[in-house]
Amino acid sequence: MKWPAWRRRQDAQLDEELRSHLALAIQDRIERGESPDQAAAAARREFGNVLLVRETVRDTWGWTPIQHFWQDLHYARRALWKAPAFTIAAVLTLSLGIGANAAMFSVVRAVVLRPLPFAAPEQLVAVNETDLRGTPIPRSSSWPDFFDWRRDTQTLVSIAAHHTASFTVTGRGPSRHVPGAVVSANLFSTLGVEPYLGRGFLDEEERAGADVVVISDEFRRDYLGGAANPVGSALTVNGRPFTIVGVTPPRFNFPVTSPPPELWVTLAQDARVEAPGDSPMTEQRGAHFIQVVGRMRPDLTVTNVQAEFSAFASALAKADAEDHRNRGTMVALQHDVIVGNARRPLLLLLAAVSCVLLIACVNLANLMTARGVTRQPELALRVALGASRSRVVRLLLAESVALAIVSAIGGLLIAWWSLDLLVGIAPRDVRGLRDVSIDTVVLAYTALIAFFCSLVVGLAPALRSTRGDLRQDMGATRTSGGSRAQRRWLNGLIVTETAVGAVLLVAATLVITGLDRLARIDPGFDASTVSTMRVNLPDSRYTFAKQVAFYDRLLPEIARLPGIAGAGIVGPLPLSGSNYSLSFELPGNRGAETATRLSAGFAFVSPGYFQAMRIPIRRGREFTIADNETAPRAAIVNESFARQYFPGEDAIGKRIKPGLSTTEQETPWREIVGVVSDIKQQTLNEAPGPAMFVPHAHGLITTPHIVVRATSGVDAVPEMVRRLVLAADPELAIFDVRTLQDRLNLSMARQRFTTLLLMLFAGLGLLLIAIGLYGVLAYGVAQRTHEFGVRVALGARPGVIVRGVVSGALTLVGAGLLIGVLAAAALTRVMISALDFVAAPEAPTYGAVAIVLMIVAAAAVFVPARRAMRVDPMRTLRTN
Amino acid sequence: MPVPRYKNRIELLQGTLDLLILEQLRWGPSHGYGLSHAIRAHSGDVLQVDAGSLYPALHRLERQGLVKATWALSEKKQRTRVYRLTPRGRRHLAGERSKWEQMSQAIAGVLNRARSSES
Repeated sequence: MKWPAWRRRQDAQLDEELRSHLALAIQDRIERGESPDQAAAAARREFGNVLLVRETVRDTWGWTPIQHFWQDLHYARRALWKAPAFTIAAVLTLSLGIGANAAMFSVVRAVVLRPLPFAAPEQLVAVNETDLRGTPIPRSSSWPDFFDWRRDTQTLVSIAAHHTASFTVTGRGPSRHVPGAVVSANLFSTLGVEPYLGRGFLDEEERAGADVVVISDEFRRDYLGGAANPVGSALTVNGRPFTIVGVTPPRFNFPVTSPPPELWVTLAQDARVEAPGDSPMTEQRGAHFIQVVGRMRPDLTVTNVQAEFSAFASALAKADAEDHRNRGTMVALQHDVIVGNARRPLLLLLAAVSCVLLIACVNLANLMTARGVTRQPELALRVALGASRSRVVRLLLAESVALAIVSAIGGLLIAWWSLDLLVGIAPRDVRGLRDVSIDTVVLAYTALIAFFCSLVVGLAPALRSTRGDLRQDMGATRTSGGSRAQRRWLNGLIVTETAVGAVLLVAATLVITGLDRLARIDPGFDASTVSTMRVNLPDSRYTFAKQVAFYDRLLPEIARLPGIAGAGIVGPLPLSGSNYSLSFELPGNRGAETATRLSAGFAFVSPGYFQAMRIPIRRGREFTIADNETAPRAAIVNESFARQYFPGEDAIGKRIKPGLSTTEQETPWREIVGVVSDIKQQTLNEAPGPAMFVPHAHGLITTPHIVVRATSGVDAVPEMVRRLVLAADPELAIFDVRTLQDRLNLSMARQRFTTLLLMLFAGLGLLLIAIGLYGVLAYGVAQRTHEFGVRVALGARPGVIVRGVVSGALTLVGAGLLIGVLAAAALTRVMISALDFVAAPEAPTYGAVAIVLMIVAAAAVFVPARRAMRVDPMRTLRTN
Repeated sequence: MPVPRYKNRIELLQGTLDLLILEQLRWGPSHGYGLSHAIRAHSGDVLQVDAGSLYPALHRLERQGLVKATWALSEKKQRTRVYRLTPRGRRHLAGERSKWEQMSQAIAGVLNRARSSES
């Protein structure tokens, strides 16, 4: 570290100027008759302290504070260089802490903090409907409701609707299945997104028959082979010809899904009628399956919008009492809806990783204190030579600043390296993860925490070691343990970090037990050796009856394959993310209950489905191939349904009327023919609820999943099914291929991510605690070697001394443990509300935490204790 | 503690040294040693400016742009740093001088009244 050239020249000139002053003074005196020696001495005396004059002049240059800081850093670098073991330990510790923190923060920033990539994203709101009975949770809206809102709203300048859909694209090479969305024409303009090529949708393209499609830039590159301008060309979607009218900008992702949508069509898709007499989805007020996004007037807030939409809902409840009596609306910022439940677990993880950093800082503060004590004589010398206390404090702070700077660089390297790892293990469905990067905000955050660390690490030790009259320490060599105040301070640090560590450990234990509990939950089916996949049958060629016939032919063919134990179809598949519920009626003689509309979970299943899934049939029978179009309408219910609606009776033979009609003229009554055990539909930790099943021949209302039970290996199954499907119709594609076990794991991906990271952080924290504890104990023993020597010489048995060291350590850890557990008990409520799978801790949790911490303490105390035991009294006494 | 070297030494008022330096430079450029010599001579050995005050003051004035320094050879062939008044320094001096005169008149007035009431 050198001064810039111009600064050195300035110094040299000042020296010369002062020298010339002296020379002139001496010449004057010689001319007056003094001898050269006399003259030189007198002139010098008259001039005074040259160094002081120089310093005073330099002060007027206005560089002094910076110069001092520079000097301090330079000095700190030299001092750190001379203590490589300390420096490496310190930089490693701090780099780990800062790196983990920076990596975690970049994830939080990408997922939670970064605004949506749309124009003025703070004006975008999501409008949902909700059931006013019970806790309001956001639910989908229906097209007629949306049309009313779009006509009437005054608070939103623009309002658009969308729902996800999947499309099969054919005609260009192998048919391909792509995720997409059905949207209102104004979706892109509402979001403020300009098409990359071509245009968005026109209002008149919402009418049935307008077969236009907007494609994503990714689709253009991957499927259309990077066609420079595909606008205007034709694309066969779901077997019908569409015209491409626009291309979205690269990385556009709305509705936010993973993988992102690739095709958008207008609601004209939902306005079509397949058979004369049917009413299209756009006219069914009871069909709730769309999401609504709006742009607020800039002068309004969510509260204003909510007020207006609540008024809409209550007006509708009066006008259309049958379907909307208990419907309300929920308006929230679109950003909050999209970030949703990812926010709190991530913030919790950031808090946890900050605990690790805190432990690292406390450790370093420990080391710095120890260094400060050994440097006491040197500091005393500085004070005696005229350094002010603040100057010495700044000198010591410079060391921690130097450490923090180096560690921040190291931390960024660690963060940069671990980011891919972190994103790799993160659940795939979290928005923004693919945009995680170390940007300027992350850099600024890193600088901030590094600065904070340098203060925590440096300030307190610096103030401590310059307290009191340092001059007393001059020339003193320490022979016995530090002052009582100093030991109290070191002990306080240990207690602090143990307490923070205990909190981390309790958190880790809670998520581990939570995840374990989750993994042990019986989903109601046997996921091993089951493969799942879907085939999209284009409506244009496959009418309802043809779809049923397709599966009726395919399923027995699959079941006949070697190594296959059974096959069936189901919609929606458990743990695939979907959950249908359907209103139903019980026979009128049940009086009061018919007045309120009842609702239960719903799925359609084929014969052989329950057997393929190994879902136990408690009573009655499974559907058979005889439950076809012409057969009497049948239903199967689950145990919860039977218990709730037919308590103490046999559900078999009872009649229910689920609100479902496909080929029937009017909604039919169905006779219950079987009772199956409960199945987890959406998440493993959902409470059991009533559910109904109807044969696929009457209920095929969406693209089902094919489930195939293999007798052993599942790897070959998708290929076998693919061949059968292609043999039946070469234009079909199978997609969404995944083993059921995979889906089961995927349903726990978020919980597993949180658990993994919390375990990692707790482990890191424990390691740091062990190192810190070891450092303080080893230092304490080293300081007290003399005392131990004297005691042994006076007859104390080594065992007594070791016991003292060990019990001292355990007392500290015990105190930290107690404080930490108390703090953790207060914090578990926060954890339980942030993580859906965590339950309140029980006594064994705290016991486990205590045991782990004590083991760590024992490991840390082992070496220092042994050293204390081996103190040789003769040697220690002789050296002092 | 250093022994006072000059009996009649007077501690200069804050800011007065700047005024003295500028006034001295009005008579022509000079180096630091020359300035201290001249001030002492013209004050009848009463005002002794030590290097520890003179050079910081000179450098401060230089930074303020009131004086300008160049390297030159002195009359005794010694390479030295010579200070001269800038136009700004000249204006500054005029202002400071009138302030100083007002101030000294005011102080004299107060002191004289005190003396006349004593007698």
